[in-house]
Amino acid sequence: MQHKLIQSVGVAWTILYAFFVIWIYATEPRTFKDVATGAQVVAGTYEVDREKFEEGLRLFRAEQFRAARDEWARADPERRDARTQFYIAYAFYREGWGRVYNDDALFKQGLEAANRAISLSENERLRVDDTDLQIKTPAELKAELEQGLERTVDDLNPLKVFRQRK
Amino acid sequence: MNNASRNRALVRFVLLPLLLLTVALLGGLRVSSDDHAFIFIAPPLIALILSVLLMLLFVRGHMLELRAWISSGYPVLVNVSHTLTLLSLFFASAQAFNSVLPETGLLFWLFSLFFLWTLWNNQFSNFDARHTLRSLTVLFGTAFALKHMLLASLYAPEGSWLRKLTGVVLEGVSLGTIAPQRFAPATGYISFFTLALYVTSLVLLSPQPESLADEEAGQVVRAYRKLPPGEQRVVRAAIDAGSDGESDVRRALPAGTDLEDSGEEETVVARKPER
Repeated sequence: MQHKLIQSVGVAWTILYAFFVIWIYATEPRTFKDVATGAQVVAGTYEVDREKFEEGLRLFRAEQFRAARDEWARADPERRDARTQFYIAYAFYREGWGRVYNDDALFKQGLEAANRAISLSENERLRVDDTDLQIKTPAELKAELEQGLERTVDDLNPLKVFRQRK
Repeated sequence: MNNASRNRALVRFVLLPLLLLTVALLGGLRVSSDDHAFIFIAPPLIALILSVLLMLLFVRGHMLELRAWISSGYPVLVNVSHTLTLLSLFFASAQAFNSVLPETGLLFWLFSLFFLWTLWNNQFSNFDARHTLRSLTVLFGTAFALKHMLLASLYAPEGSWLRKLTGVVLEGVSLGTIAPQRFAPATGYISFFTLALYVTSLVLLSPQPESLADEEAGQVVRAYRKLPPGEQRVVRAAIDAGSDGESDVRRALPAGTDLEDSGEEETVVARKPER
């Protein structure tokens, strides 16, 4: 009986440990903290650091977009929170937006973040009710960013300089 | 279940897979020299090929008796456990190679060829388990010393000017294909620990997990316990009498009892010393 118990524990332990090794190589954590965060994601206990998120929001409102993105990246290191990814995309949009021309590199990064926000909010529709923002959903933001990246005849319209940033 | 049997089971079913999987985990771990971050490098294809050759060598060198590890006679759980252990051994071997192979460049191919040549030659040599283990320890030890001691010191940023010069000359001769990736010194320690664990697990690996002698002894004990007390006495007398065999057993039997009447299980006990 005890022999069977040891065998069963051994098999279960080996399978669990093997999955852990595969998971480590698949996620490639860079620090022990990354390992802990990854484990939280797997266990479903992962949460965004609220303090860092609020600090990012403050910087965003002060138009310090890079610093804001940095804070949000630290608040959501695993990029698992749709709301944070939406704000990151918005920060790329606002920083990249120009009256004469947009910064394509920033818009592309914004588009990637918007896509992440969309894929993370597949189950529940994300709507950010922030009075400071004119765009409220990741889908709208994605459309805006895509439009900014497109090359059309409309780009030559001189009246374009009067348009407003959202 | 006595202590020895329990400990053997713990080693075989828990400790051995644990050690092998730890080797599989640490074999691809490097530490960046810039920010000391972990870098996990999956085993290259050549490491898997070398691992296959090594498994063949284990079988040829009698370090592994495959039939004794996986058999239709074992319970499913034992076969599953043994299969997992063998798979762990395969990946641990691949990662042990990964640990001592340079990551890129000409040196990666030189080291790979060195391993390939050695393992291929060993396939046709007469090895027993002890020689195989000794040969592998030397093989991995040499590769470790070359990669983590010689090459690492040649390309260390804080090395002497002579070392740096040698490194530059080597790099120039090989048209820049020889420069290895630089890692923190902790990488060497991790590799050493990984190889030590790997060799330890090879020492713990028994060629026949379910020892045939143990199995037979177990059968005898089970058969003995099923006997009535009188017949158990006869068996004990036969065993105590030593290897004289049938005559002793006959003497120990009560008058009028024939040896053939005492059943199949007793016959097994009586004949065992003759083997």
